[in-house]
Amino acid sequence: MSSNTFTLDGKEIPFEPGDTIIRAAWRQGIEIPHYCWHPGLSIAANCRMCLVEIRSGRQAQMPILKHDPATGQYVPDTKPKLQPACQIPAGEGMEVYAQSEQVKEAQSSVQEFLLLNHPVDCPICDQAGECKLQDYWLEHQAKGKRKLSEPVHKPKGVRFGPTIVYDAERCIMCTRCIRVSDELAQDPVLDMRERGNKNEIVLSPGRELDHDYTLMTEHVCPVGALTSRDFRFKARVWFLKSADGVCSGCATGCTTHVDYDPRKGRVYRLRPRDNEATNQYWMCDDGMMTYKEVHENRVVTPLSSRLGDLDMDTALDTLAELLKTTPSEQVGVSLSALHSTEDNAAWRDFFSTVHPAGGFTVGKRPPWRGDKILRDDDHNPNTKGVEQVLGGAAEALPSGMRVLVALGTHAPLPNDFDPAEPDHHLVVLASNRSELTDQATLLIPVASWAESRGSYVNRKGLSQSFEPAIFPPWDVDPAWKVASRLSERFDTQLQYISIADVPQVQPPPRSTPGPSAQVRA
Amino acid sequence: MEPNVQGNLTQFNEQTLELPSEPMRLNMGPSHPAMHGTIRMVLDLEGETIINVDVQPGYLHRGFEKSCERGNWAQVFPYADRLNYVSPMLNNVGFSLAVEKLLDVQVPERAQYYRVILGELARIADHFTCNGASAMELGAFTPFLWMLKVREWIWDVLEKETGARMTHSFGRIGGMAKEPTSTLKQDTLDMVTKVRDVVAEAESLLLKNRIFLDRTQDVGVLTQEHALQMGVTGPMLRSTGIDYDVRKAEPYSLYDRFDFEVPVGHQGDNYDRFMVRMEEVRQSCRILEQAVSQMPESGPVCVEDPRITYPEKQDVYHTIEATIAHFKLVMEGVKPPKGEVYSSTEAGNGELGFYIVSDGSGTPYRVRVRPPCWYNLQAAREMLVGDMIADIIPTFGSVNMIGGECDR
Repeated sequence: MSSNTFTLDGKEIPFEPGDTIIRAAWRQGIEIPHYCWHPGLSIAANCRMCLVEIRSGRQAQMPILKHDPATGQYVPDTKPKLQPACQIPAGEGMEVYAQSEQVKEAQSSVQEFLLLNHPVDCPICDQAGECKLQDYWLEHQAKGKRKLSEPVHKPKGVRFGPTIVYDAERCIMCTRCIRVSDELAQDPVLDMRERGNKNEIVLSPGRELDHDYTLMTEHVCPVGALTSRDFRFKARVWFLKSADGVCSGCATGCTTHVDYDPRKGRVYRLRPRDNEATNQYWMCDDGMMTYKEVHENRVVTPLSSRLGDLDMDTALDTLAELLKTTPSEQVGVSLSALHSTEDNAAWRDFFSTVHPAGGFTVGKRPPWRGDKILRDDDHNPNTKGVEQVLGGAAEALPSGMRVLVALGTHAPLPNDFDPAEPDHHLVVLASNRSELTDQATLLIPVASWAESRGSYVNRKGLSQSFEPAIFPPWDVDPAWKVASRLSERFDTQLQYISIADVPQVQPPPRSTPGPSAQVRA
Repeated sequence: MEPNVQGNLTQFNEQTLELPSEPMRLNMGPSHPAMHGTIRMVLDLEGETIINVDVQPGYLHRGFEKSCERGNWAQVFPYADRLNYVSPMLNNVGFSLAVEKLLDVQVPERAQYYRVILGELARIADHFTCNGASAMELGAFTPFLWMLKVREWIWDVLEKETGARMTHSFGRIGGMAKEPTSTLKQDTLDMVTKVRDVVAEAESLLLKNRIFLDRTQDVGVLTQEHALQMGVTGPMLRSTGIDYDVRKAEPYSLYDRFDFEVPVGHQGDNYDRFMVRMEEVRQSCRILEQAVSQMPESGPVCVEDPRITYPEKQDVYHTIEATIAHFKLVMEGVKPPKGEVYSSTEAGNGELGFYIVSDGSGTPYRVRVRPPCWYNLQAAREMLVGDMIADIIPTFGSVNMIGGECDR
């Protein structure tokens, strides 16, 4: 950290070399109003909302006509120009004023111009409640409309791609979406067309918005011009609460906000949570869509291929009976790279201390397409975590295995193990249905990632924890708790009452957090 | 057991046989047909004489203050109405003034006159209800109905103006809910004439009646010291001789422009309270006449700040700025700056105070009501001890404890 400081409204603000005024203020938690600036994108300086007065140094002047009270005439004069805080680099000893009369008038005027042709869409716009136009109107303008003629009309509801809809009337032409496509997704498919009040965002000819980060264009859009077709009209944001989550899509471990409606117990969407260490400000489309698995294809009640639907206690009794009547060397365990470290640790402990098993392996989703931007080849969030839980022990299932207890929706089935045989038993503890669960002889539900606490270790070895958003279905517990419940039927008992009771493998390494990172071990 | 004839028992003549006796404990209320509102009084009686009263309020506690924390500032008005439900406009005005003090905003003059007019009409209705009920408890049924007739007329005017007779929720932060009707001034002046006539008639019915005078004079006496110790305000305090009226002490809503007097009693007995209220009705009539003559014919009735007042509905339909203003006010509410303020007005029963704490958001952090009749009720015990059972109801009636305001 450099010791350079400048003053903002009389307050000393430290800055790092290369910081602009707005970035230095943002690091201190002070917001200079802006639309087009984004900490993760290049500077455009086209919205002019962040204009500030800089009273030190040589100031650019602009010609004005000033009223001379002595003569009663308007005489030419100059006055210092306001500068965009997003573009001017902070300098030692600079005197910046963001609350002066001139700045307030400029903010009010900019806001008025932005709303000049804006459609009266608030009741049907998804952005209502998290819209910068609304917030800044209240804080900086708070006046009525002066223009009397009909607003300019532009295309509305333009399908940009399978995920995004564009509304040109609501667009304020900040070009954040263009910069996201160019810089983040490395796919310059969006551009701006025409000039003045005929401006609109268009796709390259013959293309549609189909790269892996299209939902980020919607995320950065400060108004309701770009809306997600998946979320459109589903929920009003003031009814949604946010929980801190970690994406379960791949080993990158992007941190998320899980937005849910507590009245209905439903998760409606994910949003990226700022995190310098993993995802900065972004998430990929597939990661954003992982929330769907919380409410689709869920396993809710235990199912036995022999006995049919069971309740949890009977299912656990059945499993306990099965384990007690099977010798240890014929029991295999498949942990899960899709489950949290705590879930895996609890089951490792169960099968080490309560009823030792013959061998461990790890169930994973097969690799998928990664890229150099955010996505990792490894389609599992917690591969490294499970490795730590096993502590480097060999991953091998015992030969002649008769009972396989698999955590999660994926497990490697060895050739000599066939669940269809009457002697072989496949016990699956999962939250969603999969190919594996369809073959299970005993299927026990566990809570999904949105309903439990836990942590994932990402590809860089960083352990990040997430908190629950909604309550799980009736009598469904997180996997670590199910292990404890099962152990009640044995002589040695795990007795995990809260997640803090599950012994962690090792203290998770800490990373240096960014300005708004919320990494918790 | 030997009786103890000393102490606070009535002195017997030496010839009388001293019978062993204990005070009788009698429960009165909470649901008693003659009591005003729901209140429980546990009486210790020596014969017919009251030697102790345990006044137990709280049977109408509805969690008003807690309910206010569950919505916007504007959503407090229906709750405020139901505090002193015989004069709801005064509660509305009191709360509006408190929030406006926190917002540091002055409502337009026309709104202030409108508040005064509707408020004084409500005060007249309140005093007529109290006095009418007091008379009825002494056996005089006709004056009760005679005064309630006037209350009905007043409620007709309020219904014309606000849409509801009693709990109209007409106050708004920053002004009033609607413009006054074109007939307001004429209706008010008509009311004033009628009210003055009825006051004279009611007094003529009662004030020469021997029974009325014997039963109200020197009954339920409240001393000045006790009143001040208990924090009593309003007609009860003024009946003891202290002329404290918030409208004169800390004028609000243009009360310093009106020429009116504050009636004051001498002894603090039921008779004085009755007469103070009758005189206040006459003074309210004077205020009404002056307000009607001074009120501007046109002008805004709400402060024109889109952060406080809803914009015109046609603008909301057609302009984005008004839509955003409407959206923010409905979804997030008026946002008074962080801070706390105490603001008081003269309600029907005395100093009605609102102590509000804002945390900067649209939801109140704390709304504490200083209900005048809560403190007035504290004095009721001293007023009743020493009097007889038959005096309880009239004395309690003259305290004018409104359950909604007392228990909130």
